[in-house]
Parts: sequence; C-alpha cells; structure tokens
Amino acid sequence: MNPDNFLYLSIILFAIGLIGIISRKNLFVIYMSIELMLSSVNLVLATFSRVHSEHDGAVIALLMIAVIAAEAAIFLALIVYLYKNTKTIDSEAFTQLSHKRGAK
Amino acid sequence: MLENSIFFILALFLVGGSIGMISFRQSVFSAISFLLAMIAMSGMFALLHFSFLFLAQILVSVGAVVVMSLLIIVSVNIKSENLPNDKLTLKRFTLSAILISPIVALLFYAINKTDLMFKEVNEEFGSLKLMGVDLFSNWALAFEIISILLLVALVGGIVISKRSSNYESR
Repeated sequence: MNPDNFLYLSIILFAIGLIGIISRKNLFVIYMSIELMLSSVNLVLATFSRVHSEHDGAVIALLMIAVIAAEAAIFLALIVYLYKNTKTIDSEAFTQLSHKRGAK
Repeated sequence: MLENSIFFILALFLVGGSIGMISFRQSVFSAISFLLAMIAMSGMFALLHFSFLFLAQILVSVGAVVVMSLLIIVSVNIKSENLPNDKLTLKRFTLSAILISPIVALLFYAINKTDLMFKEVNEEFGSLKLMGVDLFSNWALAFEIISILLLVALVGGIVISKRSSNYESR
C-alpha cells in the first residue's frame, strides 16, 4: 500500500464532485456532489493521520462526519421547502437573489 | 499484496459510484450509486486501520445521511418530465473537466514529488479507546462547537420546513 494512491484517489473524487456541481442542474445531485467532496477530504485526513501514526487527522475526519450530517439536514430541508413552493428542483429556477431577475 | 488488490477493488467502486452519481438522470439511481461509493469509502478507512472511523462512516454517512436523502427523494417523487433539462450534460461535463484539469494536474504533480510511506502500527492504532482519548484531550473545544452546530442545524431544519411563505420562482 502506497499513501500516494490514496491521495490520487481522493483528488480524483474531489474532481468528480466539482464536475458534478458545475455541470448538473438537479439539486439532489449538487447536494451529493458536495458530500462527495467533503468525504474525499476525509480520506486525505485519514491518510495523513496514518502516515504520521497520530490520531489527530482521524479525529478531524470524525468531526467532519458530524459536519456532513448537519449539512445534510439543512440541505434536505431546503430542497423540500423549495420543491413544495415551486414544484421543481432545477437550480436555474431559483433566482430570487439574482440581479438578472427583472431583465428576463 | 492482498491489501493492494482490496484497495483497487474499493477504488473501482468509489470512482464508478461517484461517476454514476453525477451521470444518472434519475435522482434515485444517483443516490444508490452514492450509497455504493460511501460504503467503499468506509472500506478505505478500514484499510487505513481506523476501525472506529469505519464504524462512524457506516453509521452516519451511509446509515443516516444517504438513507435520509433516498427517503426524501422517494417522498418528493419527482416525475420524469419535471426533472431539470440536462440535455447539455455531456458538453458541460467536458467543459468542466477541461476547466478543473489544471488544478488536478498540479495536485498530482505535488503528490508525485512527495515521499510518503506508511509506518508499521500496533493493533491498538485507530481503536475507539485511543481515538476517544485524543478527541477529549486535544479536540474537546472542537467537539463542543460541533455539538452546538448540530443543535443549530436541527433547529434550522425544523424552522425551514415549517415556513409557509411562498417562494416566487421565475
């Protein structure tokens, strides 16, 4: 086992998550891409924790898992709220904060 | 040798699951692919000798978060014709891949230059006891802040879903 492989893998996962956020309009997919990026950071933390034989990185990863859970609660509540009011999960439909709203 | 083959099988599941997650049109299939990827990620933690992190990943990320999102997706029940129009997806995939390839190449180069090795660790490493000792001696403040964050998220989730005012969409 080489630590480099773990780091390469986590970079690939982070890139896939970023591609998902940029290229999809479905709110659920955007949410899961954010979670994938957070999890890939977790993998980096665990790998470096193992390389240095210390527990600190793994403890940060454990706290990150709690942050992921909090993010999931808020994001899913928001998606349900937006879907109840607009009947869509297209991210381009939500433009209340956009300055272009009056133009179109 | 065995560890290497396990790593590559798990990596295959991780990358395959996440590519499936961003490319399926139906949200349910995306969520199931993501479930696969998260289970493979917990296997990675087990491979790195963190038994407690493996358990926490299975319990929280797989058992709570992904299953909750599956539940929400199923209960929202979006019809196929109401899904966002993702016709340009392949073009967008290519464009965004080109957009982020420089930073990925830079990070690959940086890792290639480093010289990291896994040291041998004893059986106790990564166990619940040692993780707990470190958590409550060095990271106690962070732990308390996270508990407040979870409380705020709990209250915020309830407040958001109770609101009745209408959101105007275009």
